[in-house]
Amino acid sequence: MISVKNLSKIYEPDGFIAVNHIDFEIPTGSIACIIGTSGCGKTTTLKMLNRLVEPSTGEIRVNNELAITYDPVEWRRKIGYVIQKAGLLPHMTVRENITLLSRILKRDKKHIVEKSNELLNMIGMDPNTFADRYPIELSGGQQQRVGIARALMEDPPILLMDEPFGALDPITRNSMHEELMYMNEKLHKTIVIVTHDMEEAFKLGNQVMLMNKGEIIQMGNEKDFKENPKNQFVEDFVSGQLG
Amino acid sequence: MGNLVKVLFFFLLTTHLWSKELTIGSKAFSESIILSEMLAQVLEENYNYKINRKMNLGGTKVLFDALDGGDIDLYPDYTGTGYIMLLKMQGETDPQAVYDIVKKEYENRFGITWSPSLGFNNTYAIAVRENDPRFKEIKTISDIIPIANKLRFVAAHESMERKDGYKAFKEFYKIPFDDNKAKGVDSGLMYSAIRDDHADMIMSYSTDGRIKAYNLKILEDDKKFFPPYYAAFLVKEKTLEDHPALVEIFELFDDFISEEEMIEMNDLVDRAKREPKNIAHNFLVQKGIIKGKIKKPQLSKGFIAYTLSKKNYLLKITKEHLLLSFGALFLALLVSIPTGVALTRFPKLSKLVFPIINTVQTIPSLALLGFLIPLMGIGYLPAVIALFLYSLLPLIRNTYSGIEGVNSNYIEASRGLGLTPMQILFKVEIPLAMPIILAGVRTASVIVIGTATLAALVGAGGLGEPIFRGVATVNGNLILLGAIPSAILAIVVDKFWEVLEKKLVSPGIRL
Repeated sequence: MISVKNLSKIYEPDGFIAVNHIDFEIPTGSIACIIGTSGCGKTTTLKMLNRLVEPSTGEIRVNNELAITYDPVEWRRKIGYVIQKAGLLPHMTVRENITLLSRILKRDKKHIVEKSNELLNMIGMDPNTFADRYPIELSGGQQQRVGIARALMEDPPILLMDEPFGALDPITRNSMHEELMYMNEKLHKTIVIVTHDMEEAFKLGNQVMLMNKGEIIQMGNEKDFKENPKNQFVEDFVSGQLG
Repeated sequence: MGNLVKVLFFFLLTTHLWSKELTIGSKAFSESIILSEMLAQVLEENYNYKINRKMNLGGTKVLFDALDGGDIDLYPDYTGTGYIMLLKMQGETDPQAVYDIVKKEYENRFGITWSPSLGFNNTYAIAVRENDPRFKEIKTISDIIPIANKLRFVAAHESMERKDGYKAFKEFYKIPFDDNKAKGVDSGLMYSAIRDDHADMIMSYSTDGRIKAYNLKILEDDKKFFPPYYAAFLVKEKTLEDHPALVEIFELFDDFISEEEMIEMNDLVDRAKREPKNIAHNFLVQKGIIKGKIKKPQLSKGFIAYTLSKKNYLLKITKEHLLLSFGALFLALLVSIPTGVALTRFPKLSKLVFPIINTVQTIPSLALLGFLIPLMGIGYLPAVIALFLYSLLPLIRNTYSGIEGVNSNYIEASRGLGLTPMQILFKVEIPLAMPIILAGVRTASVIVIGTATLAALVGAGGLGEPIFRGVATVNGNLILLGAIPSAILAIVVDKFWEVLEKKLVSPGIRL
């Protein structure tokens, strides 16, 4: 479970408030989508969860452990992170990308091979065919799958995804949505996805958070948003006039 | 304590006295090498000395600094050179008066003294082609005034600058030379320039063998412009006190070589391609100074036979060249990679550092060596430092821009994964920047190997040594002996980096 209280980010020296005192909870095993226009603070919020951005105020807990009590690097190692276009390291093979952190942490070699094979099979990429390929030899969808496998290698309880499907074509994106939901029925991770696509958010998210100007305007599921929009902004956003 | 210092001092003094070892230098032309060889051989044969030879050093300034700084103990120079170039005096043309002045001034100012004159005067002489119809009726320098503006005047670089050089000469005789047609070249090259009709008139050395060999005619210095240039050895007074053998040899060498004899010896080296060492030996044997047999000329050889006969020498200078190049490159790598990385971390610093190393890069290599000699003497050290400074720019610049150019997406992904900044540097940034870093290493290698040929001018040896000796003594084989291996070396090293690149750069980013 992720629990966030009074979280904000103020950028000095101009005092720009990127995220303004927000609170939310995401239950274990569920998928939350943060949505909003560019500059609304959704990516900053996500990056504060794994401390790529240090919060100005507030506290973050994952399964009751307080983020601030950890060294930032240690904290990040407990959290899976997937970015747009996967961010696979081009000089490493698929297997090297997936196992990078495990190798740095000096995990058992046999375990590393077995676990990476298991993950490759899970994402539908045969290890014999794909393990030794370089990212440049993969399609966009395959790269994104490897990005997810890399994030899951150390079996983190939560997974953060920053517009993970944004660069994919609609057909690939759709099938990746299905795969992700199917996967999480088994893995039961707590997943936070940042997106600017309302349809994607409603489809994937058990919980959708609409942000604007650093604040959460409305939080709920598709039904809540469509039947009880909190204000005109939400209504416009849901009907597709914004975003 | 005081006693200990005295004992120590005495020990140092006496070991210096007992060590019968001297370092002799020479300028980069045949006559200077022959004279130094004579002194070296007498010390070796008759006094059992161990002699370090530092032949073919750059100009007067390099040698004087080397003597002053203690890198060499002796070298031959000319009274006129000391009088005009170093003491910056002029006006006196009487040989004895000039000798007395330079001896006194050098002793007072630098603690350096002049041996008695070796006997011949190697002054400047204006030479033209004997068969050039324009000079048929011309006997003296004053006679050329009517045709002077059409003449192509060529002199050694040193002569273009000296107080008794081109400008003063032109002014003194009021000759209307066209400055655009006056050129400075390496002193060894001006003779072939006039022989092959690339020059009409040269400022020659009066004892150069090529005056006779190339059918040149000397125009009379009718207004007595050129000062006397009598050859003698320069040595610190202290060294002379410590080595009585030198005093004996200097007495022996007093008025020892006539102008005709010197011209003959120079000709044997420059034209007959004899070794200066053998010519000096033969002269000493003929004069009964040392014992031994006259060395006969060997049949002139083709390049391959010549190279094979110089196998050991080639090996030695190649080794020197590699030590110079790789020493400098190794030092530069050690400094540049961390510096390049540091500059990416402190962008403000890069605004300060890049202008400095850019400026160093624009200093001509010879000038840089000139600056370094007073600080570090001659030999390996200044050469390595100069080469090191030259390789800094491509190495630092490429490391910096290679790492700066790494896509921020990869850094972000690595941070998100939980890599420390160091892990990101070594596992992500450097591997991704590797192709650009290696391109810098290749550039630096080619620069260093090429520039290392200039190291010979400051006595650091290397493949430049036969090139400069070859140019100075008009010996094509000798030039090739240095030029071909250094070109091959540059290609081999470039290929080496190419192979290494395949090992160091991931196939994922080579595609």
